[in-house]
Amino acid sequence: MVEDVYIEGAVLEISWADQKRSLTELIYSTVSKAVEDAGGSYDGIDSVVLAAHDLVDGRSLSSMVTAPAAGAYLRDEVRYSDDGAGAFAAAVARIEAGESERSIVAAWGRASEHDVEELSRALFDRIFLAPLGLEELHISALNAQKWRLNGGDCSQVEAAQAARGAAAKANPRALQQGGFRSTPAYPLTSDHLPLWADVVAAVVISKRPAGVKVKGLGLSSEPYWLGDRGIAKAPALQRASERALAEAQIGVDQIDLFEMDGMTLYDEAIALEAIGLAQPGEGMRFLAQDARCNPSGGSMAGYGVPAMGLARIVEATLQLRGTAGPVQQGKPRTALASGLSVTAAQTQTVVVLEAA
Amino acid sequence: MSAAIIGVGQTGYRRSFPDKSSRELIWEAARLALEDANMDIDGIDMVISGVAPDALAGEASVERTAMLGFGKPFLRINTGGVTGSSAVFAGNTFVKAKRARAVLVVGLERMGQATSSQQVFNTIFDPVYEKDFPLTTITMAALRASMLMRLYGYNAMHWAQIASRSFRNAMKNPLAHIHKDISPEDVLNSPLLAWPIHRFEACPMSEGACAVVIAHKDMVGDRTPAWIQGAASITDSYAMGDRIHRPGATLVDLLSLQMAAQRAYKEAGVDRPREQIRAIELYSAFSSAEAMAYPALGLCAAQDGPRFVEAQFTDPSIPVFNPSGGPQGANPVSATAMVRIAEAALQVRDMAGARQVADVDRAVATGQGGATQFSTVCVLGKRQAA
Repeated sequence: MVEDVYIEGAVLEISWADQKRSLTELIYSTVSKAVEDAGGSYDGIDSVVLAAHDLVDGRSLSSMVTAPAAGAYLRDEVRYSDDGAGAFAAAVARIEAGESERSIVAAWGRASEHDVEELSRALFDRIFLAPLGLEELHISALNAQKWRLNGGDCSQVEAAQAARGAAAKANPRALQQGGFRSTPAYPLTSDHLPLWADVVAAVVISKRPAGVKVKGLGLSSEPYWLGDRGIAKAPALQRASERALAEAQIGVDQIDLFEMDGMTLYDEAIALEAIGLAQPGEGMRFLAQDARCNPSGGSMAGYGVPAMGLARIVEATLQLRGTAGPVQQGKPRTALASGLSVTAAQTQTVVVLEAA
Repeated sequence: MSAAIIGVGQTGYRRSFPDKSSRELIWEAARLALEDANMDIDGIDMVISGVAPDALAGEASVERTAMLGFGKPFLRINTGGVTGSSAVFAGNTFVKAKRARAVLVVGLERMGQATSSQQVFNTIFDPVYEKDFPLTTITMAALRASMLMRLYGYNAMHWAQIASRSFRNAMKNPLAHIHKDISPEDVLNSPLLAWPIHRFEACPMSEGACAVVIAHKDMVGDRTPAWIQGAASITDSYAMGDRIHRPGATLVDLLSLQMAAQRAYKEAGVDRPREQIRAIELYSAFSSAEAMAYPALGLCAAQDGPRFVEAQFTDPSIPVFNPSGGPQGANPVSATAMVRIAEAALQVRDMAGARQVADVDRAVATGQGGATQFSTVCVLGKRQAA
């Protein structure tokens, strides 16, 4: 059971190739707004937990400049080169451990300033996998194909894509201009792919009672080698979800809203199956018909690693606070958000939140 | 909510391991740590990996290839020079939070695969204002060393004595990369890298992996623990120019280390560090970095630094610095701050072999990274903090 930890402030900003702002200015802007959302004061903030990656930022040890921009000056700060949801879990643990009272968690990825395909290819083993030219989206294509071969309900693909497209269009935080998509590998089409974007997400968490409470956390991993992976099953997500739900003492059927991190449409459908909301092969139908699933528009709303787990947490928080804008889904009381990390969702984090 | 280090594993360090893959190095360090802890991977609830600039290895997210304990929670940390200590601290956090009973923490460095580490380190600096100097970690340290000489009266012999002492300590450490009896005169006669820094004052480029097992107090049982009495980390501003004339703490006052030490000492119940700490493993990549740490750790006043260096060789009451040889003996960057903690843990556990310091009840390990802006302090003891 999570000790009493609350989300005081939450902000997500998605842009594309903003020529007027540097990366540090983007970070400072979002973190400042999150602090403002939390009441406007840095008082009591004693910890800064970041999720960012040198190769994404385009600079070795980039936290030398990005950490101070995220409020880390003369504060306890740590950077995870991992997904933002993992950093969020670590920040919650810091509060539970009594090491921190109030913490900033921030994550970002600026796709406009790095070669996303080249970086993805660099993640694969230099001897056995890199010569194949593999990228993470190719693993997503394998997931999609395996899901289809396993009997996934393909009749719902177009409807699911239309639903998340409409959601992304309505989401005021989504990228509406700019961005780009990679070249799809069969059976994916361009629309199924993430819209690469510049994403910064930030939250302020503390023991101070606020609008959203953290109820459960779960983390898990998969082996590295593709032959050992649970293709189209997302077993790491399944285990992470089981742990988070058990900790929250709640069943997946009692969750009112889901913000699942998946790189593609198919990954999002598989994610809904992995957490047990949808039966195997039925995830696409949930994306198509169940408005509780990824009301933000998922990866169509803009995608920049390694910020997406924290972005999903922000979207879920806004829903629980009733401030998600045009994509608000009634008055949800509980939400589940997930974040995945390299290589090709090898690690997963699930967070269960509750309206306090 | 106490946690302890109950297992330490190190591959040993050398210029490169052409015969071993990154995953083999990680697995070897992990296996040794688990054996030391008398555990297997099934007893581990979480794995935390520390790998710093991917560019040094030329491999991206190389830690993923060596995933240990499939299905377990796994996170990676990259905080530059303090990556190793940040990873240990994260493991400590998850144990104290009761999210894990035992955490395996692994640090890996593969910089032997870099064609030039200083070219990579040049890329940590501002691409517009600093990269063309060309500012590197060596020239950055040289600026500080010259400032220390001007402000406090250090001279070349002080730097040479510190370096020589570390090299001679490293001769007792079979894991060290450099095993040479280097005298202060040898240091002074070595080539200048950037005035006033001579080659033998600088750390080597080393590869290797280090691992520790951190366990909740209920898991310690009859194992020999090094209790984590205090752990703190502080981040300072990047801009060195902003720190040169900062009121109260200049560029060489190492405010981040000072604040981290104060917090860690408070947690550990240390109020007279010079008397209460017997062994100190410093992340001092250059002799001048060690000198900056003395006042920050509360061991002497800044202006007394040169005399403090001289007294180390005659006053046995002064703590022993870098009995392992420190970063002069081996500097696997991603792992170095973890090696400091691992070596301090071995000292506290009386398991340091020929490099064991007598009567170590409490030891301190530091981490230092970025533009001398990330600092960590870890206090380890034979007993739990009061």
